[in-house]
Amino acid sequence: MIEVEGLTKDYGTVLALRGLSFRVGVGEVVGFVGPNGAGKSTTLRILAGYLGQTAGKVRIGGHDLETASLAVRRLIGYMPETSPLYPELRVREYLTFRAALKQVPRRERCRAIARAMELAAVEAEADTLTGHLSRGFRQRVGLADALLASPPLLILDEPTAGLDPNQIREVRRVIRELGREHTILLSTHILSEVETTCDRALVVSRGRLVGEGPIEELREQRRGRRVRLVLRDTAGAAAELLGAREGVRVLERSVLEPGVVRLELRIERSSEGVEAEALLACLVAAGIGVRELSPIRASLEDVFATLTQAPNGVQREPSLPADDSAAATADGSGS
Amino acid sequence: MSGLFPIFRREMLSLWVTPLAWVLVTVFLLLQGISYALVVRHLAAAPAVSVDAGPVQAYFGQSVFLIISLLLLCPGLTMRVFAEERRSGTIESLLTAPVTPAAVVLGKYLAVLVTYALMWAPTVLYVVILRNTGGIDWHVVGTCYLGVLAIGAGYLALGVLMSSLTRSQLVAFLLTVAIEFGLFIFGIGEYIFDPGFWLDLSTHVSVFSQMDELSKGIVDLRRLTFDGSLIALPLFVTARVVDSWRWG
Repeated sequence: MIEVEGLTKDYGTVLALRGLSFRVGVGEVVGFVGPNGAGKSTTLRILAGYLGQTAGKVRIGGHDLETASLAVRRLIGYMPETSPLYPELRVREYLTFRAALKQVPRRERCRAIARAMELAAVEAEADTLTGHLSRGFRQRVGLADALLASPPLLILDEPTAGLDPNQIREVRRVIRELGREHTILLSTHILSEVETTCDRALVVSRGRLVGEGPIEELREQRRGRRVRLVLRDTAGAAAELLGAREGVRVLERSVLEPGVVRLELRIERSSEGVEAEALLACLVAAGIGVRELSPIRASLEDVFATLTQAPNGVQREPSLPADDSAAATADGSGS
Repeated sequence: MSGLFPIFRREMLSLWVTPLAWVLVTVFLLLQGISYALVVRHLAAAPAVSVDAGPVQAYFGQSVFLIISLLLLCPGLTMRVFAEERRSGTIESLLTAPVTPAAVVLGKYLAVLVTYALMWAPTVLYVVILRNTGGIDWHVVGTCYLGVLAIGAGYLALGVLMSSLTRSQLVAFLLTVAIEFGLFIFGIGEYIFDPGFWLDLSTHVSVFSQMDELSKGIVDLRRLTFDGSLIALPLFVTARVVDSWRWG
């Protein structure tokens, strides 16, 4: 549905996008995540046809964005970040204007507006001036607007920004529902949103793609690389023993009760041979009692932080880390 | 030209549901009413003068009130068309809809032009009332309205362009007033410059001369061509400006 290659946007003083490339397939719900200023909105604005790119190719639905901008815009329902509305118009008037602008046939207009209002849950405010709406309802009117012409592709820029928790849940539910019929690309910096609504995430930082893949896969990238051990260890021998092993780093040691310590280890990627089993065997051989061994599941936040805090952006990881097996083993034996 | 009609309708609605158009029409009609009353009273007091020019000619062709009110009315009508959309951000949703820049510009322009024409409509009553006191040359009335429409249309096109250059309505208003006032003042040069290039140029540009001629029923194609250029050129540039925002 979307093919982006080498997308670059130079604002003159700021290089917002630096050769961004990605694809979104038909029917996918993809989250576009990244810290503030990563280039999310710029990318979405380019895809929506509002901004022109400095370099790179964008194809949407088989059309080239540069040469067939109108055709592309007919395929897209775009919801800008701030959901700007004309304050002097009522919600229904606004949606009628937008439907006409999007060339929804006159006969179908009423039905399309009613459907969009129902999906975005703004029917109760149909006759309210948009200038009197709360932020949450403005967002929803923006969403209703994006849905009007039943476009195959929805581009939503931070659809839940500024909403209260109930509204956020409601909007996420709507997005999941829409995901059955539409291809959706939504941007956010809230990771739980991606986890609850998307099939796949694109992580951008400083105008570059730094991570990409199904949500589970992204999370798995860091899973098992940190391990928590609870040991019967009086003299601190365990930390010393494990620390001496290649590719293992002791991050934290805390005493839980006299003679019992908790260690947090990091298993480096380079030492692929190190497995939970080997660690256990080594500890048992040294006469150290192991009470608990469990992988520390990295949250998407950890993945996000690791990916986006590297000084120049980290390259995408080509495959799952090999130490995943350690995690799997540990999972079985863990708490 | 997809999107022109919805944009035109939305602009008309926005103009007439907010106080702006009503304030402008009130001030405008008040000024015109005073101007017209003064002309009629003056001619009633000195019937000999009206041999040269009747009330219609004097009102349209010799009153500076008319020009001054145009200089304020037109920028007032156009100042918000693009500046407000850009300030509030609605331009983003507008330009991501399947519309062409030309449709956006023309839709907005036609809305202010029709509003402008509607503001003039009540002044036809002045002539209708005058009909009771004597003969009216309706052709002259027609050319007079052609004049205010042609000049106003040019001023509105300039205003639309100025509004596309800034996010501030006030700046758009002031820029438009400055340029239109400059053109008006330059037109007065026909009474000041010595014969030569500048005199010729200022005579061609002069709004005062144009209205004077039209109020006598003289339609000069050269002047209408100038008005046409004053409409087409700014609108063309505005469409380019709108397109250029993509590269900002």
